[in-house]
Amino acid sequence: MAACAAALLVLPLAGTAVASEAHPTLAELEGEVMCPICHTTLDQSNSAAAARIEAFIVRRIRAGDTKSEIKRELVDQFGPAILAEPPKHGFDLLAWLLPIVGILVGGVVLALAAWRWSRRREPELVLAAGGVALPRPLDPELERRLDEELRLFDE
Amino acid sequence: MPKPLKLGAQAVAVAGLAGLFALLIWKITHRPRPVKVGAAAPAFDLQRLDGNGRLALASWNGHVRVVNFWATWCGPCKSESPALQRLWEQYRTRGVVFIGVDSTDVASDARRFVRKHGLTYPMVRDRDGSVGNLYDLTGVPETFVVDRHGRLVEHFAGPIDLRDNDRAFKRAVDRALQS
Repeated sequence: MAACAAALLVLPLAGTAVASEAHPTLAELEGEVMCPICHTTLDQSNSAAAARIEAFIVRRIRAGDTKSEIKRELVDQFGPAILAEPPKHGFDLLAWLLPIVGILVGGVVLALAAWRWSRRREPELVLAAGGVALPRPLDPELERRLDEELRLFDE
Repeated sequence: MPKPLKLGAQAVAVAGLAGLFALLIWKITHRPRPVKVGAAAPAFDLQRLDGNGRLALASWNGHVRVVNFWATWCGPCKSESPALQRLWEQYRTRGVVFIGVDSTDVASDARRFVRKHGLTYPMVRDRDGSVGNLYDLTGVPETFVVDRHGRLVEHFAGPIDLRDNDRAFKRAVDRALQS
């Protein structure tokens, strides 16, 4: 039942992705392609260089190229830096993996810190005769010093 | 947290910081130095625009070279192209080589530009602008005059114009020819 519900939720998204791959629009590619002169995505740039790349993308869309084909052609024309997203292979894969690793490591560190903090805050109890839990008695030396301080305070 | 685990975590954190610091130092020390007149012209070896092999700056060592960076999306590049073609025709008989470097452009657009403006000197493609970065370009067009020994003699930011900087350009090329 749950699997069916999940499939119903995912199917429209998958359909959109397939449509986007087969029939890309300039608007969606503008956000995924960089202007090599201004170092922003095309949709953020008004430069002549960006306009020239947009015209190239429009020509390729009209020619019936898929999104992946257009991106490949752009990389062939301008190099891999033309894509806003780093490639998912080789050294560039680190750009995808490091944030995930960072989040995982951060989560583990936070969990350890929370566990340690909660253990410190728990009152240390000992079982007295009859099964009653009492606070752990103070160290005799510490108790002596505390009594002395309190006595001095009273004087 | 157990002591060995704590020490290990601290060591990893210190190593990470040291790595980031080393990366910062590497980036600072490996930053390309701005090109200066009198210094060696940055070398390049780029694909020819017509697709027929590659062309390296060093392949014309012993010749004076005029390296012109341009792009199809640049208005002043269109206006300077007749002047550059005329100067090329004038200087090629004296052993001067003009090299057009098409920067961050669609190759088919660039080839159309070359045909339309009747440019006959060798053209190469700097598809990602990396050679332009070596020359510390602030934009296009920019033109560099390189002497027979590969030293930069002059740099012109902006278009070469037969009225405005024609004399300065010719003086620079003559100076390079005498080197």
